[in-house]
Amino acid sequence: MLFNSLHFLLFFPIVTLLYYLLPHKWRWILLFSASTYFYSAFFLPYILILYAIIIIDYFCGLLIEKYNGPAKLFWLITSIVSNIGLLAYFKYYNFFVDSFVHYIPILKHIDILLPIGLSFHTFQSLSYTIEVYKGNQKAEKHMGYFANYVLFFPQMVAGPIEKYATLGVELRTKHKFKYKNFGNGLRLILYGLFVKMCVADNLAPLVSEFYANPTNFKATSTWIALSAFSIQIYADFYGYSTVAIGAARLLGINLMDNFKQPYFATSFYQFWQRWHISLTTWFRNYVFFPLGGSYVNAFRWIFNILFVFALSGFWHGANYTFIIWGFLHGLFYISEKTLLKFYPESIKQNPVFKFFGANITFILVTLIWVFFRAENIDKVYLVLNQCIDFQLETKVLMPNIPTICMLTIFILLEIAIYNNRFDKFLKNKNTLVKWLIYISLVISILLFSGIQSFQFIYFQF
Amino acid sequence: MKKLIFRLSIALFIFIITIFLTNYVYEKYYYRSDCEKLDAKLLFAQDSLQNLSDVLYYAESSNATAANTDTCLQSISQMIDSLSPLKVNSVEHGAIHARTFLQLIKNLKSNSKVKTIIVTLNSRSFGSPWINSHLETNIAQANVMYEPIIPIFKRIKLSFNAFDNKIIQLRDHDVEKDWEGLKLNVPKNFPYKTVRLWDNAMANGTYLLPNGDWDMPKISLACHYIKTYAFSIDAKTNPRIKDFDEIVSIAKQKNLKLIFHLLAENVQYADSLVGEELVNIMHQNKQLLLDRYSKNGVTVVNSFEQVNGLDFIDQDWTTEHYNQTGRFVLAKNVLKYLN
Repeated sequence: MLFNSLHFLLFFPIVTLLYYLLPHKWRWILLFSASTYFYSAFFLPYILILYAIIIIDYFCGLLIEKYNGPAKLFWLITSIVSNIGLLAYFKYYNFFVDSFVHYIPILKHIDILLPIGLSFHTFQSLSYTIEVYKGNQKAEKHMGYFANYVLFFPQMVAGPIEKYATLGVELRTKHKFKYKNFGNGLRLILYGLFVKMCVADNLAPLVSEFYANPTNFKATSTWIALSAFSIQIYADFYGYSTVAIGAARLLGINLMDNFKQPYFATSFYQFWQRWHISLTTWFRNYVFFPLGGSYVNAFRWIFNILFVFALSGFWHGANYTFIIWGFLHGLFYISEKTLLKFYPESIKQNPVFKFFGANITFILVTLIWVFFRAENIDKVYLVLNQCIDFQLETKVLMPNIPTICMLTIFILLEIAIYNNRFDKFLKNKNTLVKWLIYISLVISILLFSGIQSFQFIYFQF
Repeated sequence: MKKLIFRLSIALFIFIITIFLTNYVYEKYYYRSDCEKLDAKLLFAQDSLQNLSDVLYYAESSNATAANTDTCLQSISQMIDSLSPLKVNSVEHGAIHARTFLQLIKNLKSNSKVKTIIVTLNSRSFGSPWINSHLETNIAQANVMYEPIIPIFKRIKLSFNAFDNKIIQLRDHDVEKDWEGLKLNVPKNFPYKTVRLWDNAMANGTYLLPNGDWDMPKISLACHYIKTYAFSIDAKTNPRIKDFDEIVSIAKQKNLKLIFHLLAENVQYADSLVGEELVNIMHQNKQLLLDRYSKNGVTVVNSFEQVNGLDFIDQDWTTEHYNQTGRFVLAKNVLKYLN
């Protein structure tokens, strides 16, 4: 089920109503059923994969807690192999077949549908068993609560990837109906829908038109399309995450923020503190730190950074383009860290320096997104070539006027919200201003949302 | 709780006012451009034709597609128009199907001049590959624009994904599931009980060139015929049946004479490339449609085998595109039932 669907707009109020009507001890059944229904609306058979993850990690968690020494490690490895095995089979098998079929001809390509959000479920569930292994988390005895941790419908298909220590506890807590939560939840849902439907969905056709045939365009159009994709992917994911956080908030449950205006970042380091925060945190905690983190010699540190970024790229998609995308981010991250060592703190804090930093970061991130969006390396080469083709164009690729208006409203709101969240930004505004904003957003969604069908980008991950 | 109900009531009131205002603005300034964006202009065509026509001919590309060698480029409906005293116009668009015809017919005004509607009954459109076609998302979007509801609701339905917008992979998966899972109505001794088995067998070197190599174009065409026509219409579940049934009841409500034009298929090629088992399946489907709708009081023009194999424009694919000879044969066939 999509958040931006009438199906969800019907489903969610019913679930919310029942949630507050039911006694706390029965709510887990409601959430479990609702989450199962929510996921099954995409493709019914794949709910079994999620059930398999739940059963495996539930028992692995209990066994990890029960044993010590090699047995403890054995059950952790069982959990890791099962989760990564599922991910490898559904997401990466064909990639490996395509890559190695020349060397191992018995490998055969299989027609398989990628379960939506599989990378999110497996990473979230893995974080639980790892935390139990590390002794930071007690194993959950109640299978229903654990199932809801993996399945919780607002964040099940696209995160944020939560730790059991936060979401697990939130799911166990008895939440009473609070008007404040209700209002904030609705505000976040409204803003999230605006961002997804009016910004991302309106930019999608322009980006698709460009990527369908990049050689039809010259530098001006290319740069417009690349910038449009930068904003599209952000608005797509940020909007969706905001609806997820809002929907959970309506049920009284707090989810972590996944984005903090990443395109205002003045460096790659800041960008990764603001973009897909829950995934960055996961990789930092469960890959970068175990590799030694930053407390290693310079060469090992470079290796650690590049490895984590390349792996993060591979997490996004089974294609070399994604690996290169991650690797390039790692490379820029290292270069920036190394260069900035030579600058005194006073210069780094200078607003002019920050302004240039933000612009350079945006331009480089935008260029690297080409690897993320293009289907293959040949396409990347074509697109990057068009960036420097400065011939005059008879027709420049431009967003239409309503899209430009939506984009302007979005950018102005993001500036106003800077370092905050939409619900908190509205907190101290007077009623008239608040209602003007609500009505503007509703009218924008009704009149100017994208109507051509484009899938939510992060579903494929 | 009282505070909440009060605030929700105010919000709801403002929301309703907003809907009415936005509907006015949308209809006046953006509706037409959205229709153009979604290639959903048939409603405007129908509106302009319904007071000028005695008969409307609803069709997909079968009506107007002409061969490069044709000297006469008239569509089937234009031929009917020139041969009949009645004024016949067409409402047509490539790849559309019964769902689109249904939505359009729902919009026909009760006081229009139209007294008869002819709807193409394309037996191939009942098969899984067409039902789950990659074009279906776009057609479903256009169909929303044809629904008889206020324009802003159409937009809401589109932006909130209230239409069949399955991803392509799921559509392919559904087709493959049907090809692998649905048992064909073939004789007991026929070894291939599913499309997948039949297709695989056919793909395995059935036709050879004189030099012993596989005749790939012929094999590929034969496989395509199997995948396109080897299906049995299940009247209880087939979505096209539901749509055609609804067309029948809407036509009755609107007091329109309804004619279904069962389009010609290339049965000759199906026979020569694949064999009588496939032809039998095609005939079973044809018979089901003829029986079902004749019993329902609809005039069904049976053109199923009226066109010679060579008069199909696409000789290396399965379509209902006919050259001028084929179109003329079909036009004359329809004409018999029109007057």
